[in-house]
Amino acid sequence: MNESELNKLNDFIEREARSYNEPPAPPLDAMWASIAAQDWTRATSDGTSGTPATRGGVRRWVMDRRFQAAAVLLIGIAMGRLSLGRHAAAPAAVASANGPLTRVASAVPDTGFAAPYQVTTSRYLGQTAALLIALPADPHRMNAAENQQFISRAGDLLTTTRLLLDSPAADNPSMRNLLEDLELVLAQVVHLRAAPSRTELDLIHQALDQREVLPRLTNAAADISAAN
Amino acid sequence: MREPELIARVIAGDRIAARELYDAHAPRVFRLAFRLTGDADLAREFTQDTFVRAFGQLSRFRGDAALSTWLHRITVTVVANAMRKVKRFRERETDLEAAAPLHIEGSTSDPILRQRLHQAIDALPEIYRTTLIMHDVEGYTHGEIAQVLAVAEGTCKSRLSQARAQLREALADLAPELES
Repeated sequence: MNESELNKLNDFIEREARSYNEPPAPPLDAMWASIAAQDWTRATSDGTSGTPATRGGVRRWVMDRRFQAAAVLLIGIAMGRLSLGRHAAAPAAVASANGPLTRVASAVPDTGFAAPYQVTTSRYLGQTAALLIALPADPHRMNAAENQQFISRAGDLLTTTRLLLDSPAADNPSMRNLLEDLELVLAQVVHLRAAPSRTELDLIHQALDQREVLPRLTNAAADISAAN
Repeated sequence: MREPELIARVIAGDRIAARELYDAHAPRVFRLAFRLTGDADLAREFTQDTFVRAFGQLSRFRGDAALSTWLHRITVTVVANAMRKVKRFRERETDLEAAAPLHIEGSTSDPILRQRLHQAIDALPEIYRTTLIMHDVEGYTHGEIAQVLAVAEGTCKSRLSQARAQLREALADLAPELES
């Protein structure tokens, strides 16, 4: 990098860094209402564990993001259904105008289902792969709270699996098989106790291995990404 | 009313004085919390928490530093502690989204360059990121940052220099484009 390029880069960093996380106007009254409602004398002094308000706030933030993810999924599925409905109507019109032997374009892409489903399914497959890869073999690797969080996330993904099984994404036979296997594995994870035994975890790992779930999962995710 | 008087009244339980102190300092605390978190809900929670803590501990405020410095120190601590949990959640989400990366056309318009810079700032180690945000983004002086983060001014300067160097390294491929 020559001196001129370096100067330009420095200028760019200095100028554009100011737009990093540009704050909106602060909701002063709403924040005050919450502050005034609390008992100030109960705030912890060490700053390590957070006041009840913050602990609840962060938990609420995480939950909100989960609800948003679920909403995106439902919107994706709804869009997919609408799009599929429109595509399904088109071939009939072409056929009547050009005669019964006219070949019409497929209503769905090569991967077997409409684009909105591809986006939703791709994200779901990535999330499920990340969860299953993180599934510990040693029951002592995670504490009870982490286990609970893990199980809760598996529960969210199990719901998504069932929604996808009921969608055109499952029309593709190999995808349907994969989703059914994932439903089984995720259901096993959801039924883990907060302190699972090694045997319970071994059974899940065996199911993953025997059904070659992870390789199929990553292949399916790669196929969808390539199709996009 | 002067700030020391307001502080004395808040310690005595005067909530109107507390609101006055809050009005004077909350906008900057919120800005800092938002810059550090990039999320309005979290910034709001952390601002609230900062003031609940501050009002609860105001009798311990000795006045060695400005009240704003003390408040910003609480803010940075509150954000740093709570963001560990948020980051774990975000990292999982990022892993997942990596399965379907956003397709960006070959265009190199300003928003994309800016996005690259913002991503590079996100990726900085936390101590560098906080220093860079406070100095280059929010305009704190080295003296103020040193007091807020409880480090020497020299440490603060060194962290800023490291942060900028890491950004330059992360964005080096953009230099010829910026030049043209």
